Amino acid sequence: MESDSISHTSSPSASNCKDISRKKRRSAKLKQCKLDARREQWLSQIGAVKNKVCCKEGTNDGDSKQTQRGERDRSLENFEMRGTAEVNGEGENVSVQHESDSESFPPNSHTSSSLLGGMDSGTSFTNSSSSSTSSGGCCSGSITEEEGGDGCLDDWEAVADALAADDDKQELDPNENNKENLCLGSTPGLEPNPQLGSNGEGSDLKNSEPECPRMVQRATRSCRAWRADDTFRPQTLPNLSKQRSFPATDRRFGQGGVSWMRSSAFSVPSSCPICYEDLDFTDSSFLPCLCGFRLCLFCHKRILEEDGRCPGCRKPYENDPVEAEASVQGGSLTTRLLARSCSMIARS
Amino acid sequence: MKASRARLFKEYKEVQREKTADPDIQLVCDDSNIFKWTALIKGPSETPYEGGVFQLAFAVPEQYPLQPPQVRFLTKIFHPNVHFKTGEICLDILKNAWSPAWTLQSVCRAIIALMAHPEPDSPLNCDSGNLLRSGDMRGFQSMARMYTRLAAMPKKG
Repeated sequence: MESDSISHTSSPSASNCKDISRKKRRSAKLKQCKLDARREQWLSQIGAVKNKVCCKEGTNDGDSKQTQRGERDRSLENFEMRGTAEVNGEGENVSVQHESDSESFPPNSHTSSSLLGGMDSGTSFTNSSSSSTSSGGCCSGSITEEEGGDGCLDDWEAVADALAADDDKQELDPNENNKENLCLGSTPGLEPNPQLGSNGEGSDLKNSEPECPRMVQRATRSCRAWRADDTFRPQTLPNLSKQRSFPATDRRFGQGGVSWMRSSAFSVPSSCPICYEDLDFTDSSFLPCLCGFRLCLFCHKRILEEDGRCPGCRKPYENDPVEAEASVQGGSLTTRLLARSCSMIARS
Repeated sequence: MKASRARLFKEYKEVQREKTADPDIQLVCDDSNIFKWTALIKGPSETPYEGGVFQLAFAVPEQYPLQPPQVRFLTKIFHPNVHFKTGEICLDILKNAWSPAWTLQSVCRAIIALMAHPEPDSPLNCDSGNLLRSGDMRGFQSMARMYTRLAAMPKKG
């Protein structure tokens, strides 16, 4: 921390030329193997990472640079994954900067938390810097803001890795992540900065809450069996209800029908031709007339109450509706009995 | 009431969807009342009604589709099964042979078929029926063509 802040304060105070000088200085330090080793180190310390989660999240609010940072994060990630040294210059420099940060310090998340302190507000920075006996004056405010942003970058990446690593563990408990962050937020690194703690906590709660339910949803969705009406259901899965109604269709082929109705009667209609409402499974297994004209039970009942003739062949419905299927479920059996009793009433 | 409204609404959507499916039929629902429809049908070719456009008025009962819609010609037509003054149509499917499976669209198709194949044995227009029953095809055709030209064709000049 000391060397870090010192190096920054020693760099030109004007932020734009400082950027340029930093780029030059840090691009020289870039060594991929070193980076990877550092990353391993970082990952091994989940606690530190977690702490950074809240630090990172804590800086989200009201920072206009957040979107830029997000882009940089992505480029950083790519850069680390590919292992090539050349991605866009800025991202590189940033990551190098952080490696150097962690290099100069025991990786106990002290840097990031103190950096965040600077990030959150000038006062908090002075708090943390005073406790860490840093000589960073008020002129380092702008610098630390930059640093805070960079810190976010590195943290973000590490957090993403860590989250991916123990995703399955955390999926089970939506609050686990939260709790961890909470307790970590209250004990950040070396100095218990109350402002930082509260900041990190509050915003972390805000930010992690939408995240966790998403993960849980994913988990539940993955272990749930496909439902017939599931939109994510693969098309290749056979439709059980359709399969069950196929024998009825086959059966009807031998029985003929009214010529003008035949085209629509051969394929089981998806909707009742009378009321145009969708046929459910009970309806589509209901075959009230030998001609093969299908309709929903509701319309069948209404027709029985009126003239009692099949709309397809105009012959009066028989008392006994044709047994559509031998293997109907209990529910449809009762409805069929009901329909039969209705037709009995209509006849008598 | 509710069922008939739902069914008519679905028929309306069907008509909108398949507007181009049957170019001989234009089925339009009344703007304010879904139980009132009008249809424009083209006279079938190779009949005296060819080239004419005939307007039909549908009055749909609340028991629809269990009860048939009441249909009549608004355009004058010389046809044995259509009342010359009222436009009433004598068609079995609009009476006792109605089936709830029929739609307004299919009724229009049936009426077009009736125009091409008159039934002189159950006439509403006795003059027309008598001409056909007496075998005076030429007389019937010239009369029907004259009325088609007078009533169902755009006025020239």
